[in-house]
Amino acid sequence: MSEVRLNVEARTEFGKGAARRTRRAGKIPAVLYGHGSDPKHVSLPAVEFARVIRENGHNAVLELRIGSTDRELVLTKTITTHPLKNYIEHVDLLSIKRGEKVNVDVPIVVSGDPEPGTLLTQDLNELSVEADALKIPEQIELSVDGAEAGTQYHASDLSLPDGVELVSDPELLVVNIVVAPTAEDMESEGDTDGAVAEEEPAAESSEES
Amino acid sequence: MLIPRKVRYRKSHAPKRSGMAKGGTRVNFGDYGIQALEHAYVTNRQIESARIAMTRHVKRGGKIWINIFPDRPLTKKPAETRMGSGKGSPEYWVANVKPGRVMFEMSFPNEKTAREAMRRAIHKLPMKCRIVSREGGEF
Repeated sequence: MSEVRLNVEARTEFGKGAARRTRRAGKIPAVLYGHGSDPKHVSLPAVEFARVIRENGHNAVLELRIGSTDRELVLTKTITTHPLKNYIEHVDLLSIKRGEKVNVDVPIVVSGDPEPGTLLTQDLNELSVEADALKIPEQIELSVDGAEAGTQYHASDLSLPDGVELVSDPELLVVNIVVAPTAEDMESEGDTDGAVAEEEPAAESSEES
Repeated sequence: MLIPRKVRYRKSHAPKRSGMAKGGTRVNFGDYGIQALEHAYVTNRQIESARIAMTRHVKRGGKIWINIFPDRPLTKKPAETRMGSGKGSPEYWVANVKPGRVMFEMSFPNEKTAREAMRRAIHKLPMKCRIVSREGGEF
């Protein structure tokens, strides 16, 4: 993954009022920390940062130019988005060094179609891996083409690029291919819940406790 | 219908209808989801009704996840009763849903059928909703 350069500004005012002013100015409030140094508060250009994340993924390595002299190599740690409007509200950035190994969550992308009459359920969306900070894979692909019902893909079944090590439990279930539920199966899902439906609400309560 | 097995207190204050959903705002299990756009109390009957609407439309071959649970009791006083004499008796079980919450998720091979099933389910719910997908939501 190549480094992307971004010019950022140091933030001098804090709190929700200042953060809102920053967002109104087309910037994203962010904090930068790591390696035991004091946290730095910066503001990122919103449009450029969103483009970088869209094109390079959440694990994009950025070279930040803070002011005119200071330069930092960083990785996105957390991106906080608005639940409805989907814009980025805040970013946590982790300071890294060249050649350093980092633990990151890489998205799993499932490709291909399993056999007809089966249903694919993806239990794990991201896999924790350890990789060189500058060689983080954008995604890990898993092909389920022609998979039969009953096939299970675990974390250990995924093929990782060279230099990338698995951190997650190798037994974690990633994708499960099951026989597609019949109409009766889907209807009966509600019946099992209905077993307690006739109970008097809160009949077993202990008000005094 | 969904109902808690055991509760500590039979009656509670009405849950707050303010703020946005803090979690559960993305599709995690299925391919598509129904996201709330407004605050609402969703009763267990409405949840069941929405689930049945989706199930009956897709018929077979899909899977549905319900991400909300009606764990809050709402009370109601009987009709033609004078005020006072204590709080009414528990009448409904509701989930306190805030904007942004993905309430239902669905996995189904045909997107058109899945979206139609969710559209029908939205009609059973007491607030404005939208259909979101797992891939969507990038900035």
